[in-house]
Amino acid sequence: MGGEFSFETTSSDVEVTWGERLRDFYEEFVYKPGLVAWNDRRTKIGGTILAVYVLMATVGAWLYRTPTSNQAARGLQPFEVWSAPLGSTGSGEDILAMAIHATPSMLIMIATGGVFATGVAVVIGTVAGYKGGVVDRGLTSFSDVMMSIPGLPLVMVLAVVFSPTNPALIGILITINYWAGLARAIRSQVLTLRENSYVEASRTMGASTTRILYKDIIPNLMPYVLVNFANAARYVVFTSVGLYYLGILPTSVANWGLQLNNAYKQAGALVGTGALYQLVIPMVAIMGIALALILLSQGLDRVFNPRVRTRLAGESESTAGDVDDETTASSEVMT
Amino acid sequence: MNYYVERTIRALLTVWLVITLTFGMIRLLPGGPLVQLRAELTRQGYSAARVNALIENYQNVQPDQPLYVQYVDYVGSLLQGDLGQSITNPKSVASIIGDALPWTMFIMITSVVLIFAIAIVWGAVMAYREGSTFDMASSSVSILLGSMPFYVLAIGLVVVFSYKFQVLPARYRTSPGVEAGLSVTFVVDALRHAALPIASLVITGAGLQALAMRGNSISVLGEDYVRVARLRGLSDRRISTRYVARNAILPMYTGFLTLIGFYFGGSPILEEVFTYPGIGYYLFQALENRDYPLMMGIFLVITIALVLSVYIADLTYGKIDPRIRSGESSEAY
Amino acid sequence: MAIERTQQRDAIGASDPVIRMNDASVTYDEGESYVLDGVSLEVERGEILGIVGESGSGKSMLASAMLDAVPNPGLLSGEITYRPSDGDETDILELSQSELREMRWEDISMVFQGAMSSFNPTMKIRGHFAETLDAHDADRTAGMERARELLSDLYLDPDRVLDSYPHELSGGMTQRALIALSLVLDPDLLVMDEPTAALDLLMQRSILQLLGGLREKYDLTMVFITHDLPLVAALADRLAVMYAFKLVEIADTREMIENGGHPYTRALLNSTPNLDAPLEEMRPIDGKSPAPINLPSGCAYHPRCPLATEQCREEVPGYHEGVGGAWRGVFPPRRGDQRNSAELRRLAR
Repeated sequence: MGGEFSFETTSSDVEVTWGERLRDFYEEFVYKPGLVAWNDRRTKIGGTILAVYVLMATVGAWLYRTPTSNQAARGLQPFEVWSAPLGSTGSGEDILAMAIHATPSMLIMIATGGVFATGVAVVIGTVAGYKGGVVDRGLTSFSDVMMSIPGLPLVMVLAVVFSPTNPALIGILITINYWAGLARAIRSQVLTLRENSYVEASRTMGASTTRILYKDIIPNLMPYVLVNFANAARYVVFTSVGLYYLGILPTSVANWGLQLNNAYKQAGALVGTGALYQLVIPMVAIMGIALALILLSQGLDRVFNPRVRTRLAGESESTAGDVDDETTASSEVMT
Repeated sequence: MNYYVERTIRALLTVWLVITLTFGMIRLLPGGPLVQLRAELTRQGYSAARVNALIENYQNVQPDQPLYVQYVDYVGSLLQGDLGQSITNPKSVASIIGDALPWTMFIMITSVVLIFAIAIVWGAVMAYREGSTFDMASSSVSILLGSMPFYVLAIGLVVVFSYKFQVLPARYRTSPGVEAGLSVTFVVDALRHAALPIASLVITGAGLQALAMRGNSISVLGEDYVRVARLRGLSDRRISTRYVARNAILPMYTGFLTLIGFYFGGSPILEEVFTYPGIGYYLFQALENRDYPLMMGIFLVITIALVLSVYIADLTYGKIDPRIRSGESSEAY
Repeated sequence: MAIERTQQRDAIGASDPVIRMNDASVTYDEGESYVLDGVSLEVERGEILGIVGESGSGKSMLASAMLDAVPNPGLLSGEITYRPSDGDETDILELSQSELREMRWEDISMVFQGAMSSFNPTMKIRGHFAETLDAHDADRTAGMERARELLSDLYLDPDRVLDSYPHELSGGMTQRALIALSLVLDPDLLVMDEPTAALDLLMQRSILQLLGGLREKYDLTMVFITHDLPLVAALADRLAVMYAFKLVEIADTREMIENGGHPYTRALLNSTPNLDAPLEEMRPIDGKSPAPINLPSGCAYHPRCPLATEQCREEVPGYHEGVGGAWRGVFPPRRGDQRNSAELRRLAR
């Protein structure tokens, strides 16, 4: 004992294959957090609802007819005929068809928008937070400026100027400055994470910056990022519907907002001509997906804050009150 | 001291950058406002010289001068408060905005204040009664309401309250014929017209903020100092206000100003649904009518308002959280 | 689960205990398992009692129990009697909520580990003192005077500290401020749970000294809970050792260190790192302390004890008085045992 430390390292005999790497990645990023998140009822419900939408977008859109005028008798009430289960508009379009066929583009929009917003935010926030110095100042100033430009008006102006029709592009357009607030939050997270001892250890060992970012920092950001992905997605839903409702985005792409506009303006749903259902159905569609996204973000928040205190074994030293928190302030609450 | 100076410089810098961006958008975007403006005017039959003069008038931009001269001119006029001339509206952009802005701010500020008042109390009670039926029910209601875009609820409210029950007006800021002024009639009228817009913002927004407050409160309740405070014999009342609420509110503060910004941005939709002539409404109209000067002017004003609120947020956060004041972390986020 | 305590109660006997604990137990699952298991001890008025144990031994639970402040949903049972110098004995567990509120901080006070987190971050230190005084209907002026005196006894500048926010003070300063806060209502007994754990060595020593001085000046009784045996040995009059949620040995400090009879105590003493000693002599204790739901049969220490016998595995030892009035929860060596006690002790070293 008390002997000498030998600093000779024996080379590892174990080759980490790509397959194993992938499996590790899957386990670390998908499986484990997924398991924790799944435990929460909210994630379950949110996920299921979302799955329904995906189903609508894929199978539904494939099988069900596209909405055109005069495909059904005009002004049918919901549950009246089998061929138009949710009724039809004043020009004979099947409402269910309209709802279903708005789904694929909506899903594409939220996917691209969400990925874009969180992706850019993570990159910028992480680099700024980790590097510090001039890089930090530059990036932070940049995101500050982007954050100060009001989201919706900017998007509106750009939409008018560019008149985009591709849902993927629209998604990115909508989040064109949404990422800025996120980037700031991520940056402060990274600032804290950076001080952790395991990061210092990696740095001392001479690990490259990318490696540290990838192995030490980003995994700890993931839950937070996921939560905000769901929030960003919800923002895209609300904004896109709003823009379509206002008629700013070109009507060539189907969207529930357009249905709302139709119902409100043309069918005179308000004036009690019995056209209320035309309003309600897109409303339900919108709320459904928004609900799913909120539930997901709240459920995923659990992964971020696993502060469930054990009430028994080994925790007798715990001096804090027994608390089981469901939501914390960690997630940005963006309406 | 250093911090405040830095923040001020940053704010001014941001504003200047946005002005430049706006200028860029006006001048340089392909198919951008200025190009279309020119095209329209030419289509209307004006001679080239006349078109130039008109554009100069509308936009404070002289089309023939080199870029930097145009830029300086533009900024110069801005600083003098001249935002150009509206194309569709006989009034100047500045006066349109001056008329509309207070009304938008009225709705927004009232809404945000209400939201936070409700959210703080509700969230605190939810946290206090964590796990109870009240808590579960509140959480569910909050989530449900939060999944509704405010304009959807707005439409719904209009259907119910304006058309079905005819209780509250569906459009405009005031009833026609009511004189502006500090009379009771005017105030009541304005409030009645603002009721539904405010309601749609508050009802959809309060729930999620309450959930955030709930989360914060639960975290705080688990902190050591709350336990020590109990042991020290402090009353529940004192603990819930000075210890729990006071600390749980801290993270909400930035959310408060973020929300103002968000609603500012969302005002076009809200005001369109209610035909409520605030700056959002005019922005939308300007977009529709391709009234570029007005559009850009409002855009600029909203942006400046946003920069201001972030600036105020950063500066005043130190007032409520003593830890920040000592220069711990220089960001309110 | 209960230990035989037939002989224990009579003899642990402090002559004038300020607090007497009898079979105190805490459970979180209605008796399935205990995080504090039938602990009985008495604290002599004016003494400093050190309670030592590793993490998870139940010592913090013991501290909380003394104020009937076990975190929910723990259930505390047993008898905990407080004897004020000028009044009647009261069973703490029988007190009403308001009486409990009065007793806490006025009669028995507590200092936690991590002083920084014991203060409200948005309130100045002065505010903490003021509101504590108000909550107990104490005279504010006299109280603040007393606070200032306490702070200067602890070598803090009263004006500076009172006007600061908790985060503006260093770790050592907050800890001392917390001690002052706990003494502001002139309690009889001060329970301290790892008060020096988060501080550097120099600060630790100086706080110990300050505590000694406070005891003198204010006529205090102290219970000092820690995992650091050598640290508290310098200050305490008596030491008590906890293992697996039970009290296993209690004795005068001197006696404990020189003649600690319980194998665990000996192991603790032996495991203290010493810069001068060669590496071979440092012996950490193998194994892990058990979780409450997983207690070994018989004597809870037997899996890690080099002296364990069949009896140890089967029966729970009671308390026996040893040399010098120490109490330990072991089985005394049997008569016919080959090994004599001196040998035994050598083995345990």
